[in-house]
Amino acid sequence: MKVGVFICHCGLNIAGKINVKELVEYAGKFADYAEDVDYACSEAGQEEIARAIAEEKLDSIVVAACSPKLHEATFRRVAAKAGINPYMVTIANIREQCTWVHSGIEAQLKAMDTIRMAIARAKQSKPLERKRARIRRAVAVVGGGIAGIEASLTMAKAGIKVYLIEKRPSIGGHMALLNEVFPTNDCSICILAPKMNEVWENENIEVITNAEVEKISGRVGNFRLKVLKHPRYVNENCKGCIDDCSSVCPVEVYDVGIRKAIYMPFPQATPLYAAIDWENCIRCELCVKACKPDAVDFSQKPEEIEINVGAIIFATGFKPFDARRKPEYGYGKLENVITSLELERLLSASGPTMGEPIRRDGKKPEKVAFIQCVGSRDVNTNPYCSRVCCMASLKNALILKERFGIDVTIFYIDMRAAGRGYEEYYRMTMEKGVRFVRGIVGNLYEKDGRIVVRYEDTLLSRVFDEEFDMVVLAIGMEGNSLLPKSEDGFAEVAHPKLRPVETSTKGMFVAGTASGPKDIQESVASAGLAASKAMQLICSGEEELEPFNAYVIPDKCVGCGLCVKVCRFNSITMDGKAAIDAKACAMCGACVAACPADAIDMGFFSDEQIMAEIDALTEEKNTDPLILAFACWYCGYSALDLAGTLKLSYPPNIRVIRVPCSGRVDAEWIVRALERGVDGVAVIGCRPSECHFGVNSIAMKRVEGLNEALELYGEGGRVKGIWCSAGEARKLVNSLSEFVEELRKR
Amino acid sequence: MEEHVPAVINLTYLWKKEREELGEKVIETIKGFGAEGIEYCMQCGACSSICPLATTGFEWYNRRLIKAIDFGIRDELFDDVTPWACVACNRCVEVCPRNVNPFEVMFAMRRLMIEELAVPMTAVQALKSLYDHGHAVYTTGREARKKVGLPEKPPTTDSDEKALEELRVLLRNTKLPELGLFPMS
Amino acid sequence: MKYGLFLGCNISFNRPDVEAAIRSVSPLLGVELDDLNGQSCCPTWGTVPSVDTIAWCAVGARNLALGEEKGIDLVTACNTCYSSLSEARYKMLNDAETMREVNEILKKIGKEYKGKSKCRHVAWVLYRDVGLDRIKKAAKYELDDIVIAVQPGCHFLWPSKVLPDREEDPFNPVVLRELCKVLGADVRPYTRMIDCCGAGALKSTNQEKSYKLAKMKLECIRKETDADLIVTTCSSCLIQLDEAQEMLRKRGEIDFSIPVLHYVQLLALCMGFDPERVAGICVTPRDEIISKIVESGRK
Repeated sequence: MKVGVFICHCGLNIAGKINVKELVEYAGKFADYAEDVDYACSEAGQEEIARAIAEEKLDSIVVAACSPKLHEATFRRVAAKAGINPYMVTIANIREQCTWVHSGIEAQLKAMDTIRMAIARAKQSKPLERKRARIRRAVAVVGGGIAGIEASLTMAKAGIKVYLIEKRPSIGGHMALLNEVFPTNDCSICILAPKMNEVWENENIEVITNAEVEKISGRVGNFRLKVLKHPRYVNENCKGCIDDCSSVCPVEVYDVGIRKAIYMPFPQATPLYAAIDWENCIRCELCVKACKPDAVDFSQKPEEIEINVGAIIFATGFKPFDARRKPEYGYGKLENVITSLELERLLSASGPTMGEPIRRDGKKPEKVAFIQCVGSRDVNTNPYCSRVCCMASLKNALILKERFGIDVTIFYIDMRAAGRGYEEYYRMTMEKGVRFVRGIVGNLYEKDGRIVVRYEDTLLSRVFDEEFDMVVLAIGMEGNSLLPKSEDGFAEVAHPKLRPVETSTKGMFVAGTASGPKDIQESVASAGLAASKAMQLICSGEEELEPFNAYVIPDKCVGCGLCVKVCRFNSITMDGKAAIDAKACAMCGACVAACPADAIDMGFFSDEQIMAEIDALTEEKNTDPLILAFACWYCGYSALDLAGTLKLSYPPNIRVIRVPCSGRVDAEWIVRALERGVDGVAVIGCRPSECHFGVNSIAMKRVEGLNEALELYGEGGRVKGIWCSAGEARKLVNSLSEFVEELRKR
Repeated sequence: MEEHVPAVINLTYLWKKEREELGEKVIETIKGFGAEGIEYCMQCGACSSICPLATTGFEWYNRRLIKAIDFGIRDELFDDVTPWACVACNRCVEVCPRNVNPFEVMFAMRRLMIEELAVPMTAVQALKSLYDHGHAVYTTGREARKKVGLPEKPPTTDSDEKALEELRVLLRNTKLPELGLFPMS
Repeated sequence: MKYGLFLGCNISFNRPDVEAAIRSVSPLLGVELDDLNGQSCCPTWGTVPSVDTIAWCAVGARNLALGEEKGIDLVTACNTCYSSLSEARYKMLNDAETMREVNEILKKIGKEYKGKSKCRHVAWVLYRDVGLDRIKKAAKYELDDIVIAVQPGCHFLWPSKVLPDREEDPFNPVVLRELCKVLGADVRPYTRMIDCCGAGALKSTNQEKSYKLAKMKLECIRKETDADLIVTTCSSCLIQLDEAQEMLRKRGEIDFSIPVLHYVQLLALCMGFDPERVAGICVTPRDEIISKIVESGRK
């Protein structure tokens, strides 16, 4: 293996701080060829590297220059042009992580170490080939609420086949049941029904109602969904007339209003087929006889269907908070304490009371109270804010006040009206005479058919008892996701800011409230993004994958299954021995580090390459204390680069090895580094819940475990985990400085 | 109810006092006395809505006391009796959405006040009675017990010198003697 | 069923008729009582809980250890004792450091508390362990035409997480109502059922405010239930509603008089025990209701 080294001056950025000529001489001792270049990334620089590769017959090269984040791709192209494999390029970062943050002899020594390590790594580089995977031109959308509808239509109109899977008898979700929607007060079903109809009419969309996803297998480009379709007991002959069948049905069910066991979920239901509430149906079959087109069919059986798609969008929405979990409000016991969603049904023009806000006893309320944050902002139920309840209560208060002349009081902790036109809406509500009390209610009780609200107005600092005819509990949203959940119960997304609709599994997207409370417009926006991300994948037809995937060395595998446990991407199967689906692998390296038999390795971040770097580093000790930092590519490495960009100088005791993820850091490496004279090892990864692969918790445990073990030998504290975001350069630099100090004190 | 806190409070003075005189923030002191959740309070008013002290017009009931502590108000509250009126009913703990444990805040305030000897005589008497007899509520007259046919002395520390001495040793090993509220030898 | 009878101060010295009642009914209901010799104050809120958490837990742990040494739980008829001991235990079980510090103090008097024994409330023991059936069978008199308003009391309910037995819905407690119903009474709900009676520290700090709460509750009972009798499970509520009521009546603030009994007293009366012994101490007169129970309630 012939290795060549090219050291970039980067004008004075590098050459102004360190002696490049000496470095070339130094590199020459370890490599077969070394030279310096004014600007390696310039056209002239690129030509010079290509020339040297060809003329010197180099197999592998090191470019000592700026961060690989900037020009690694450039030099890979140069290598390919010059006839060697692009993955035979190793970058030594001597600008962002050296000359921009250190100076003098210390910078020179760090550059020497960095180049020596890179040469050792370059000697272990192997040619790698990118892989391609075909992607099916179909998407499954799970959940037929507004988010699922929007995503389906967006993709179907672009010519992509969509399977829309809905659990209930009709699509439309919660939005179909609302009365009017803020901030414009348009009728919810009036703006939704045309879209539902469009879904039903679109040739590219197959709507599967009464259906649930039972199992998902496969990987990006080729997912297989097993779907259980429950019987509707009504077939396609149904004309949607509903009167003939429901008028003979003897079963009455209270569902905000009274309905029969055979019923139409709502007048605009799509498909417009009757549904049977099987739990309450007494199987008298009177409806079967009454239906002229013979649409009622009690012989239907559950069906299992299999669907093959390239991508999946989860638009499974939310579950309304069960108000019985706040017993102080007496929901379920006090008849005139209702939930905000029940009020929506009462106020809906096509709802059970035709839009009249009447109590169960038939009386029209004169005074109504809204209690906010029921099941939200409450550590005993859900700690988060459900985001829509303030606006929803303002909207309903306005309707009660304006349309029905009802006096309304809203009990709130903080009114949250952030959104376009929302604060203006709040102001208008005040102008119309809705009363606001800042104070949450401690307890409700019934007295003479009215509800007594016991509260403190926290602005007056006085306690009151006040009677209302009806109390509306503004219930929050709870997660309802089939995907891996975050602590809050909602689907976890790949990155909370930059990848809000992607999940940690490639090809699986999330839309609407499945990934957290959202109002309608936010749900629509997230659905559009999810659709476009899915289309981006589908339209590429093929996926090109970096060749860094993990692979099993079968002879070494002992079949322990640890790798299966650490893999967050279902890429590993175990049949006596482990097997990794290269195309499903996310390339984090957690399994490689976890394998106790060293039977798994990965491309570009192989054990050999990293070990070579460690060994090379410890051949010379050019600083004291010497700290080796493993920096994850996403946050740790970026934060170190940012420290460079910000010219934040820090102790020159750190040497860096780049890893794809902190989960890749093998305990053996750390032990080896310490054994060979490194004073401390830092593992720099993303903040606890922000790992791009969701595996840094494993790294944290490894660091903890190692420190505990070292403690036994009186060597505790020599391993430090630093968890920061890519933007937290200052925090990182402070932590590294502290670490140096801690090691100095030893 | 008389307001013990001046109408205009100089927070700059209180801020300096926390830093220079007390050496720690009042809220930290209160946390140290057992009200670990105080910082979670968002002043929602759930605790106060059902607090018997708020209902009867005491000035510095749970929610307001929490806010005052958060502001660094401390000595100004020492003349107020509200914490000593708390019946420890714990309704506030039941309804608090943030696990603030307002009851512990009331009692942490008591613990601070007792250190500063801002303590009502009834509390000192109860403590002394606990130490002297093993009972906070204690009477020497035993007509009631005799009337219902029970032995004059209940099977408590009242009839067991050894047990009473045990309790006294126990109490002497707590923080109680440091306070110097009454002689404990 | 064996329990250590934890008396507390109020029952020992102010209301020993409650003690007599519980001692009378227990054997007939299959409950064996141990005296827990050497027990002290629970400690009540105004004492060491106001000084220091560790001191609170240490006094509580000493009392609980008296039961633990004998392998039994405690039973009390006082809500304060129930609550103070339960909360102390909760603190010790949920914080190893507290438990350690407490045991360090206990060691000095040759004791240890492991966290096993707890303090049960007599109402829960009757409801869960003895059972409504057995109570019904043991009663000689039935409360046929008697209307009862119950006062479960704060410390019977809150904070529910620290208590060994919990109402399914602490805002709508049923245990005391069920216990009264099984004796044949007409138990009527009223809106201020779970409100505070005004006893305890509130009373010692400001008597007028304390009376204000008692008055609110009593008037509500009068207006909404027209009860013949108030039944409570708490010794403090018993004293407050009994004594404050008489005071309010003397001052002309209320114009009615509703006798107040602890549940174990009511049970003892129904089981035929001597009223002088099991219900002989009161300020608001009880004679009328007692004779009504005894004279007209024979099964």
